[in-house]
Amino acid sequence: MNSEFLVFDHVTKRFGALTAVNDVSFSVKKGEFFSLLGPSGCGKTTLLRMLGGFEKPDSGRIYLEGRDITDLAPNERRVHTVFQNYALFPTMTIWDNIAFSLRLAKLPKKEIEEKVDAILDMIQMSEHAWKYPNQLSGGQKQRVAIARALVDRPKVLLLDEPLAALDLKLRQHMLLELDTIHDQVGITFMYVTHDQGEAMSLSDRIAVINRGRIEQLDGPAKIYEAPSSRFVASFIGDTNFFSGEIVAKDGDYCTIRPDGFPDIRAYNDKQLEVGQKVDLSVRPEKIRVTLAPPPPEKGASINVYPSTVQDIVYQGVYTKYWISSSGVRVAALKPHSRFLLDQEPITWNDKVFVWWHPDDGYMVESEK
Amino acid sequence: MKRSMVSVMILAAVLAFLYVPIILVVVYGFVPNGISMSFFGSDGSFLGFTGKWYRYIFTGHQSVRALLQSFWLSLIIAGLSTVASCAIGTTSALALHKWRGRLQSIHHALVYTPLIMPDILIGISLLMLFAACHVNCGFWTILIAHITFCVSYVAMTVLARLQDFDDRITEAAYDLGAGPWYAFFHVELPILLPGIVAGGLLAFTLSIDDVVITSFVNGAGTNTFPTYVSSMTKHSRNLPSVFALSTLMLVFTCVLVGLSKLITSKGQAKLKVKAS
Amino acid sequence: MSSPLRSRRAEWLVTAPSFLWLALFFAVPAVIVLAFTFHGHDISGGVGEWSLSTWRELVDPDYPAIIWNTIKISVEVTIWSIVLAVPCAYAIARMNPRWRAIVAGSIMLPFWTSFVVRVFAWKTMLHPDGWLQACCNLFSIGGGHSTILDSEAAVVLVSVYSFLPFAIMPLYTAAEKFDFSLLEAARDLGAKNFYAFRKIFLPGIRQGLVSAVLMVFIPAIGSYVIPQMLGGTNCVLIGNKIFMRAIQNRNIPHASALATVMAVSVLIPIGLAMWWKRRQDARDRQRLEAQTAKLFTAEGGAAK
Repeated sequence: MNSEFLVFDHVTKRFGALTAVNDVSFSVKKGEFFSLLGPSGCGKTTLLRMLGGFEKPDSGRIYLEGRDITDLAPNERRVHTVFQNYALFPTMTIWDNIAFSLRLAKLPKKEIEEKVDAILDMIQMSEHAWKYPNQLSGGQKQRVAIARALVDRPKVLLLDEPLAALDLKLRQHMLLELDTIHDQVGITFMYVTHDQGEAMSLSDRIAVINRGRIEQLDGPAKIYEAPSSRFVASFIGDTNFFSGEIVAKDGDYCTIRPDGFPDIRAYNDKQLEVGQKVDLSVRPEKIRVTLAPPPPEKGASINVYPSTVQDIVYQGVYTKYWISSSGVRVAALKPHSRFLLDQEPITWNDKVFVWWHPDDGYMVESEK
Repeated sequence: MKRSMVSVMILAAVLAFLYVPIILVVVYGFVPNGISMSFFGSDGSFLGFTGKWYRYIFTGHQSVRALLQSFWLSLIIAGLSTVASCAIGTTSALALHKWRGRLQSIHHALVYTPLIMPDILIGISLLMLFAACHVNCGFWTILIAHITFCVSYVAMTVLARLQDFDDRITEAAYDLGAGPWYAFFHVELPILLPGIVAGGLLAFTLSIDDVVITSFVNGAGTNTFPTYVSSMTKHSRNLPSVFALSTLMLVFTCVLVGLSKLITSKGQAKLKVKAS
Repeated sequence: MSSPLRSRRAEWLVTAPSFLWLALFFAVPAVIVLAFTFHGHDISGGVGEWSLSTWRELVDPDYPAIIWNTIKISVEVTIWSIVLAVPCAYAIARMNPRWRAIVAGSIMLPFWTSFVVRVFAWKTMLHPDGWLQACCNLFSIGGGHSTILDSEAAVVLVSVYSFLPFAIMPLYTAAEKFDFSLLEAARDLGAKNFYAFRKIFLPGIRQGLVSAVLMVFIPAIGSYVIPQMLGGTNCVLIGNKIFMRAIQNRNIPHASALATVMAVSVLIPIGLAMWWKRRQDARDRQRLEAQTAKLFTAEGGAAK
């Protein structure tokens, strides 16, 4: 069909009345770390299961290296899955678990031993080879599941929320480890998660999925900084939305008149026309909160609004402020660059100024 | 905690109630007089304990020959029906677990109903079937009857085990290149094995203990241990040999269970050593 | 899943062994039994013409008394078993896990001795010359009855003995899951011990109570060996009558009709239990839904 490594071509999957995957097309490059990101029930796991061969699409085809694999059984495709709950074989030792696919491939005994020992070494589990899965910790099981799926070098490795069952500390550690493993083996990874943090830190590209469709497919930074829709902007990270209409244009900028809020100036990268309804997304970390008005050298074009502090949540790395500005609740983050007590602290009911540069807001057209 | 003392006392009394006949089974195995079942002579003198019933059993004395024969028949029937019902019951549980639909709801009713029916009804209805088909009752009809009521127990035991079974594990096997047969024999079956063994043990116990169903379908002259015992309750001089044989069985099962406990706990200890 | 094991043909293949076996040896015989009840009795021991005579003969004074007696004894046995089993289950569930396993195991241990042999041991014990009878005579228990053996009392006693473990096990399983801190909470609120036991513990294990009742009542209705060996001529139950008619008198239609009556008297309590459980489940679900709905509206309110 084309030279792309892995291609989903107009794939649709229904379960009864529910359309889990709705006419999805995309392609993945060889060796890429590709993430499917979306809320639960968005269809990302169904996409993965169709690639694994556990579900068959109602229409559309899936191609791997130009070959149509849509109708192949799971055991006929060189695509392996790391399951969310690991799905290790409880009656086999770690060593036998990993050797499973090699034995099925009828490799010579010596070669099996070499490969299993090598990968055990890579995941640093050599000393646990003769244990059974129920004797391992969650993180160890995770590593074994990855090793088992990687040992016969599949064309694609599918990871279904692999870190969801781990606690926070372990999750962060495993993130690094996954990244290292990906770099070492050079196999294409297809990663399903609902956690934007995981997707952001690991992926080369991310497909944000909502209600069975891809909302945006881009690199992590682009998805964060330039979301294509209100859904993407709100799903990836925190944001403040201002919905309104463009009332004036001047060059690259425009003026938005939101409902119940003063006018806002914003960068008009899409050259939208006056009268267009838009949602403006301003990330909390881009909003400054100060007791004094912004210094004049910032220019006259920035957005400044006198406001009142409503809530303050101290979170160590930064402090989160909830500010009431013209009756609208706005979230803002303030990093602690200096020692906290050096500054005059901002407290509840303080009169403050919130301000941001027009370039720091990002506009998307309103959905009807 | 006064009230819970009451319940503990009732528990103690119930345990005593449950064990009195067992103790008597052991004691009666040493009774010298097999007719009066008494340790005392007609003049009231104590006759002492005797080991002759055990001697009869071990030497195959002609007075216990029929009893031993019925015992061997029971063992053979229990063994065969355990194997057969394990095979049929396991496939039944697999079908009930994997598929949902009309066929399986009928299938489930078929498997479940024998469990809630008094066994005498299975006995009488099988007798009617054999009579209607003019089949002579004997070894084969007993075996068929035993397999019939054991299948349901095995199926339900294995099904309970399957309920905890994670289907992702089978998917993982397919995913790594296994076909359905390979996945079944190398992955699913080993996981289900404890459930099948438990079901099999249950089937064996039920089969070797059954008297009601067997007495309907055994025909003349074919006796399992329980039907033979119930037939000799009226006028027999060898009753203590039954108690002696039962005591031997009890000791044997206790030793077996003790050994299996010992092995599993040793195994666990070994695993612990390996783990540390 | 596209795996061959999931196909329609595979389903038939895996279902067939048990399905065919049970259809042939359980369902078909049941239909035959039912069909035989609509036949007359043939003097030669066979089955006669189609007729309703069998059902008419069932009203004969002998049968209703036996059926009534069977049900009465089964109810007695069930009540005794439950009354004894509930405190046992309670006591076991309150033990520490180690003792719990040991005691629960020792409740099942008697099963390793053949049922017939155990009933037989009772027969020997209850024999007019046996020591239990001697004790009874000594304390003049039993009143007018000269012997315990060959009486209804013997049948009830040994039935309770035989079926008690079947009552204790489901109750114990239910009691093990029971949250005993509820009882302490009730006491804390001023409830007397027995009141708390009755109002909190018993409803808490009601699921186990229902299965315990069925586990005892069903084999009691179908009882054959115990009345045969211990009831003598004074206590004949449906089970014995079925055996008598089928094997000794070769009156197959009568045996079939009695078997049908037995099946019905078992199915009624089971049907009731299932109806009750369905109603309970529906209630629980409604309650849960109402709570969730409340939670959602509360959350929605807070979010605004």
